[in-house]
Amino acid sequence: MLTTAGLGVTIGTAGCVREVRNAVNRDGRDRLSLTITTLPADGDRESIQLARTVRDTLEAVGIDASLAILSHEEFLRAILTNHEFDAYVGRYPGGSDPAYLYETLHSQYADESGWQNPFGVTSLALDDVLERQRRADGQQRREAVEETVETFAAEQPFVPICAPDEYRLVRTDRFDGWGERHPGTAQGYLGLEMVGESSDEEGDGDGDGDRDRDGDEDKVARLRAAHTDPRPSQNLNPLSAEYRHRGLVTGLLYDSFAVDPDVIGPLEDGGNDGANTRQANDGNGGDDEADELTTGIDLHPWLAESWEWERNDDALVLSVRLRDDVRFHDGEPLTADDVEFTYRFLADTTLGADGIPAPSPRHRGAIAGLEAVEGSEDGHRVELRFDAGSGTAAAARALTVPILPKHVWRDRSTPADVTGVRIAEGTTDALVVDNVPAVGSGPFAFADRTDREHVTLERSDDHFSVRPGLDLPEPTVSEVQIAIDPRSTSAIELVAGDDADVTTTTLESYVIDDVLEIADGNDDLEVLESPPRTFYHLGFNARTAPFTNPRFRRTVARLIDKAWIVEDIFDGYATPVSSPVASEWVPDELAWDDDDPATPFLGTDGTGDIDIDAARSAFEAAGFDYDANGRLRTREGN
Amino acid sequence: MFTEILGRVAVVIVFLLPISVVALVGRDRLSALRREWRDRLRVSWPIVTVLIAVLLLNRVMRWSARRITDRVGIHMTETFYGLEGEFILVFQSLEAPAVTTYFTLIYVYGYTFMLLFPVVAYFALSDTRPFRRLLAAYALNYAIGLVFYLVVIALGPRNVMPDVLGQTMLYDTSPEYQHLTREVNRATNVFPSLHTSLSATVAVFAYWTRDEYPRWAPVAVVLALSVWISTMYLGLHWAIDVLAGLVLAGVCVGLSQLLVGRWSVTDALERLDR
Repeated sequence: MLTTAGLGVTIGTAGCVREVRNAVNRDGRDRLSLTITTLPADGDRESIQLARTVRDTLEAVGIDASLAILSHEEFLRAILTNHEFDAYVGRYPGGSDPAYLYETLHSQYADESGWQNPFGVTSLALDDVLERQRRADGQQRREAVEETVETFAAEQPFVPICAPDEYRLVRTDRFDGWGERHPGTAQGYLGLEMVGESSDEEGDGDGDGDRDRDGDEDKVARLRAAHTDPRPSQNLNPLSAEYRHRGLVTGLLYDSFAVDPDVIGPLEDGGNDGANTRQANDGNGGDDEADELTTGIDLHPWLAESWEWERNDDALVLSVRLRDDVRFHDGEPLTADDVEFTYRFLADTTLGADGIPAPSPRHRGAIAGLEAVEGSEDGHRVELRFDAGSGTAAAARALTVPILPKHVWRDRSTPADVTGVRIAEGTTDALVVDNVPAVGSGPFAFADRTDREHVTLERSDDHFSVRPGLDLPEPTVSEVQIAIDPRSTSAIELVAGDDADVTTTTLESYVIDDVLEIADGNDDLEVLESPPRTFYHLGFNARTAPFTNPRFRRTVARLIDKAWIVEDIFDGYATPVSSPVASEWVPDELAWDDDDPATPFLGTDGTGDIDIDAARSAFEAAGFDYDANGRLRTREGN
Repeated sequence: MFTEILGRVAVVIVFLLPISVVALVGRDRLSALRREWRDRLRVSWPIVTVLIAVLLLNRVMRWSARRITDRVGIHMTETFYGLEGEFILVFQSLEAPAVTTYFTLIYVYGYTFMLLFPVVAYFALSDTRPFRRLLAAYALNYAIGLVFYLVVIALGPRNVMPDVLGQTMLYDTSPEYQHLTREVNRATNVFPSLHTSLSATVAVFAYWTRDEYPRWAPVAVVLALSVWISTMYLGLHWAIDVLAGLVLAGVCVGLSQLLVGRWSVTDALERLDR
């Protein structure tokens, strides 16, 4: 009796509520409110300052904006894996080649986790130019990239803000040879020469591989690094998007077939102009067709002895010759079987088990277009087959992935079981395992680590780079001890006080003036300046309103005075950018020229002062409106 | 580097402690202590054990309990920042190199001294109750603080507005202390401020024992006030953390009065023996 009555009441109110909701929603526009996710100031002071600047800017134009500050791995998990964010500010690991834009912006990756399309951008126009970019080579590719940049400028799937200059402090009284290769890459820590007592060994520098038999060099030869990012002391998984930035430490532990010649640095044969000077093209090949195929590929053989391209009707084939007798750090040989496994595994870490593929979130783009991998019988050759339309420039990125030992990773294809952390379905153990101890084939092997204190690597004495006759930078130090030190100021102090030799992570811009001064007054200290490899950006979650709307994104982009930010937050130690690629790829009309060519600032350039009226008009023109209190309203309100 | 700094702290404390003990406790009490320490320890060992256990648990849990925090933790940084904004900048008006040095020394050395001195001083009293209550209050502070640390994920002002804090942030003016405090604290452990709650606890006890230690009481109060301000001046804590620390101190002091002396573990054990 009572129940029935209650039910009646419920039904009655439900109808009423529906009616009310209907009435409210008829013209139901709510104030637009959003949260900007970012990182704490420890180790990356610029992100939080940028986020606060953007928040103040949005507040000024009537948007209710708040901040969410998450630790590094929580931040990346929220953005890359769970897509739980409205907007965020951070550094994009980027890439020196525009090919990375393919996985970054292609709509086919909108639902995946990792650095492939974390924004959830879906644009047919972008897809179209990205496809063309992937398939083209040479001049056609250049044109396709320029078109991508133009489409990007119009759609603003994210807002590139600035590329910070990379500064590192090094001691020159123990090691020399700094900065020949980019110190943001593993190769930057190879080929260092010992100074002082051990300087008599310098003559050996070119690869006799017998330096370490001279006696008591061990205490001299320990390279001490100060690293502001604690993550390498917690996790050494080269597949983890949350724990890796650009993979410096895993780059020391794992080898890839090829490395960027810019990071290999000056080689004695002098040339990286044109494909013919590459060792890759020694021996076989060398005919006209092969030359044509390799134009524009800027990679140098590393774990691969050489490779050849071949195009036939149904595929682009890359056949790679492995170096002989390469072993993983645990003594197991590295064979074509491991290579075959690696590519299959990166494409789907479930190895096809349950139907939902779980690709490596860091290598998705590098192996896009790869259709099959086959090792030769003798174990020395591997054939990578790409779909027929692939361009070699994009396909060549497959040479840059880390080669994994099959015997270690095969068992990690099972579904992950992590208590406490929300992870996406179809996540395998391989994607979440901390991979300690890491077993690779790289120039250094894992030795020890303590969470948030250090990770220590030791030289792999039989790494191929130490073989005679190979002109490759080799591990010269017997040990690399990476001490975790979460702030630039204390990292500098470690180097200045002779407790460390190098700050491996880039210094934050607020300390650069000081560090230049410190180095100026000390003969044993030197500041390395290297080209930027990352850029700060404002990312939108284009899966939800109002970020789905490119007009909205463009208007927000136009509220950011990038030149002023560079001066105000980065003390001038950054370059304002409007395109997500290196300047050599940017078409002339979009080149930065005192002001932002793609999204001109709605205010007085260089002051950060927004023209509020102009901003309002821009939002109104984009289909939004303001209430009587000057608050921006949106239909979907979230 | 860490051991070096820790060594420096130890040296200062080791020097400061005996001098102050001799000056403030007095020779009579010390000679009585030499005769009676066994008896006093016999009465006090249960709470000593509890405190050591809580400290060990605290150390282990703060680092290894990430899973608990991941599951139940609530992000509060934005709430605190939203509530008080740039309030702590009022302390920036004091800014001067000498002031920064003062608060840095207070934060690192003064605080450590403040916690250790009363332990010795109260152990030197023939009445063991202040000693036991103090240790109980310490244990409660750490235990309750730990629960908050597991549940509340909040970053200090230095992580949110480093630019406006400017010249007074501890780790920029004295980066060497980074190595010391990082060992002990995680960046997300700011609510409540244990520096505040423990120094307030000590100050309340100092007030209660002003008849026994008339000169310690004003010293403790000045030190405590300095510690509270230093946490904000150096950009380590929000005012809300400090307020919560004061509330926590009140709760712990109150509970220590209620609990200590109510049950006697030694009596109970003797009864069991019989």
